[in-house]
Amino acid sequence: MSIEVSGGRRGLTDPEIAATILAAIPDQPLETQRKMNYFVTPRGRRLNEYEVLCCYTQPTPDWIPGGLDWGDWTQKFHGGRPSWSNESTELHSTDWHKHRDPAFRWHALYVKDKAEEWRYTDRFLKAYSADGHVRSIDPVWRDEVLGDYLGAFGFSEYGLFNSHSSVVRDCLGDTLRMSSAMIGLDKVDNAQMIQAERTFLAKLVPGFDESTDVPKNEWTKGSIYKGARETVEEIWQGTYDWNEILFSGHMVYDPLFGQFVRREFFLRLSAYYGDNLTPFFINQMQLYHSQTKGITTDMFHTCLADDPEFGDYNKRLLRAWSDKWLPRTVNALKDFMGIFAKIPEIKGVTSKDAIEAALERVFDDWQRDYADPIGYKVDTSALIKTVLSGLK
Amino acid sequence: MAISTATKAATDALAVNRAPVSVGAQEVHRWLQSFTWDFDKNRTKYSTKYKMANDTKEQFKLIAKEYARMESVKDERQFGSLQDVLTRVDAANRVHPKWNESMKVISNFLEVGEYNAIAATGMLWDSATAPEQKNGYLGQVMDEIRHTNQCGYINYYFAKQGQDAAGHNDARRTRAIGPLWKGMKRVFSDGFISGDAVECSINLQLVGEACFTNPLIVAVTEWASANGDEMTPTVFLSIETDELRHMANGYQTVVSIANDEAASKYLNTDLNNAFWTQQKYFTPVLGMMFEYGSHFKVEPWVKTWNRWVYEDWGGIWIGRLGKYGVESPASLRDAKKDAYWAHHDLFLLAYALWPTGFFRLTLPTAEEAEWYEANYPGWYDMYGKVYEEWRARGCEDPSSGFLPLQWFAENNHPIYIDRVSQVPFCPSYSKGASTLRVLEYNGKKHSFSDQWGERMWLSEPERYECQNIFEQYEGRELSEVIAEGHGLRSDGKTLISQPHTNKDGKLWTLDDIKKIGCVFADPLKAL
Ligand SMILES: [Fe+2]
Ligand SMILES: [Fe+2]
Repeated sequence: MSIEVSGGRRGLTDPEIAATILAAIPDQPLETQRKMNYFVTPRGRRLNEYEVLCCYTQPTPDWIPGGLDWGDWTQKFHGGRPSWSNESTELHSTDWHKHRDPAFRWHALYVKDKAEEWRYTDRFLKAYSADGHVRSIDPVWRDEVLGDYLGAFGFSEYGLFNSHSSVVRDCLGDTLRMSSAMIGLDKVDNAQMIQAERTFLAKLVPGFDESTDVPKNEWTKGSIYKGARETVEEIWQGTYDWNEILFSGHMVYDPLFGQFVRREFFLRLSAYYGDNLTPFFINQMQLYHSQTKGITTDMFHTCLADDPEFGDYNKRLLRAWSDKWLPRTVNALKDFMGIFAKIPEIKGVTSKDAIEAALERVFDDWQRDYADPIGYKVDTSALIKTVLSGLK
Repeated sequence: MAISTATKAATDALAVNRAPVSVGAQEVHRWLQSFTWDFDKNRTKYSTKYKMANDTKEQFKLIAKEYARMESVKDERQFGSLQDVLTRVDAANRVHPKWNESMKVISNFLEVGEYNAIAATGMLWDSATAPEQKNGYLGQVMDEIRHTNQCGYINYYFAKQGQDAAGHNDARRTRAIGPLWKGMKRVFSDGFISGDAVECSINLQLVGEACFTNPLIVAVTEWASANGDEMTPTVFLSIETDELRHMANGYQTVVSIANDEAASKYLNTDLNNAFWTQQKYFTPVLGMMFEYGSHFKVEPWVKTWNRWVYEDWGGIWIGRLGKYGVESPASLRDAKKDAYWAHHDLFLLAYALWPTGFFRLTLPTAEEAEWYEANYPGWYDMYGKVYEEWRARGCEDPSSGFLPLQWFAENNHPIYIDRVSQVPFCPSYSKGASTLRVLEYNGKKHSFSDQWGERMWLSEPERYECQNIFEQYEGRELSEVIAEGHGLRSDGKTLISQPHTNKDGKLWTLDDIKKIGCVFADPLKAL
């Protein structure tokens, strides 16, 4: 038969072509090692699909630790700066390819989860509205707190989201890059879901303002988010070291400021104001937070702080970064205390003792999960005192 | 409206209307453009000579969750087909062996492009100022992670299910040995991520995606299916559904800078450089993979090239951008010449260097020789004859002691590597447009094969300093280089690469290579 086939004839189904192909195929497979990426060190006992599909997709030369490739970059930035280089971060590693998402999510698994969350969000909102549930929300909480201050918090999430762009460009490993994009996407998702909640409320509550004007004004000019905004701006645009961006955002600012605002303010208080809608959205954000925490603690603790060669050096630098970012974060929380003067007081819930207890939970968590593993000494009660001085 | 009035109105409204209500993606997306704010340091970390407009919109208005929903629907379909029916019919063992080998390269090299596109679009996400434009690039960041995983999945599947796992199972390590790799990195890695952000976008989106994605991703599925491979179309066509978004991003990039004065000064030069950069590698490599890496042919590469690259891209696509001052690249005409012969030239060299590959290559058969001669008159006199000679000298047989590389030395046809594209060429034995130019700079010699690359190097030599494989391997014996690069099968002695796919043919071992005593030399030293 002719070797040029036309008319879309397919080798799998066309008998003539299939016969030629089958005759050419070896009787026995030529190679017995059928495991792709068999040379990769697995994190668990066996190499998993995530490690097969993600590890060493980046062509890193061996002068960047962990790389399998050799030689220089074939094209550089104007002036000769290399495509990727060790100088892009102050931290050191013996292997920039070591990081793993503890949930082993490659793209398909990541979008599958989020797709389910979206479908469920849609069903939940329909049931919530059909139930007339929105009637129970305290009007001040609804119009001022959700309308303005939750809306303004969306900018914090959006700014953090954007801090991932240069990380996705500059970081030195493939699993790092994919994880960074995913935890970045979760942040813009949070900002969008905050807007989704406000749009939803506008559909149910005549006169509820869904526009971003007031929240944006609050974020850019108000006093409650001033410290937060300045910190986010510095993480997003003032910082060039990709590790420092991830560390300041996910290991200092978000586990303290983000956790207090989401968990101890909106999530804890909403039920007291008859609001069962906000917890639905915040709980999604808390899920993302916990997944992100798994990822970034793997990056900074499992890989960098425990690096066989550079562990001590890295921990010292991480402590120095904590020294730099902790005061700004504390200041952001202090400014945020101003919000308690804006809501109807509920004794034992929004009073000082309750706020202090909430702060203790957040700072204790941070000390245990973020400070202790890098040997960072912190006087949490002094920090809490500083934060509380912001109460009006 | 005051709070109390609003509350009463809400209660009244709910008393009459309890229709279930939700929020659609578009209702959220329409606020996206207002998510950013001005502050002192708000500027990109990656300099560009162009200015992207603050109000640039995107065409695909997705939010994160809706993006995830759409992609996961496509994933279910695609992975479902692979894991279910294609596995049951043992489809990986119904692929022509030559094509099984080609997919080692195609899927892995495409993976490199996809992977680097993650970083490239990360940079563009950073450079854009408008939230919608950032969002378009973000969608692409996520898509390119998807495509990276999908390309990996092809090699993973072929390794697990197919007839020859070697190369599929370790391409990410063994690809670095051979002569096609550095050129690959230029077009699909560094060309996307290192430079002016807009220049990178032009490389990635305006040329890489809008021009070469069609032949690469769409045409490849036709060649695959003709050769019995249904895995590749299943995955690649699913990749292609995302590419429209990427081409739209490229289009929007141009729109966003159209009113900037810099565009009138630099855009057409950047486009011309990007086009030449991409075509210099893809024109020969794709043609070679299709025609020499298949048994059943779909159509001559030059026809595919003329349709997709010359007419569709150079004519229609660039034509659409004409209102923004974009012109068809000046180098397009030289590229058209390359489309006829360059892939034949390259296969001659690739075959000569076969031991450095991570795949098996096959000499053209008699019926293929006829097909080549019919479609490329003059083919036999230039190439066919040489293959006959190599075959007669036993180039396929491990006991012959003959490597085609020796033929080039015997006949005084040195092989050079173009510094800018990293593509090998043999100026004294080629029909393509390559001519040798040698320049000296800082005490080092550099060879070039064409005026366009030479010009790029002359204006910015510091961007193209990468050593080539002959400089890297100089003075080293071939079997040593192969062993060091892990070019062996799991028995520890048989090469992954082979000069034939004959099922009864003997396989070469490292010892067979060692016996020949082939030592790398740097041709520039001889000048
Ligand atoms: Fe892609
Ligand atoms: Fe793409």
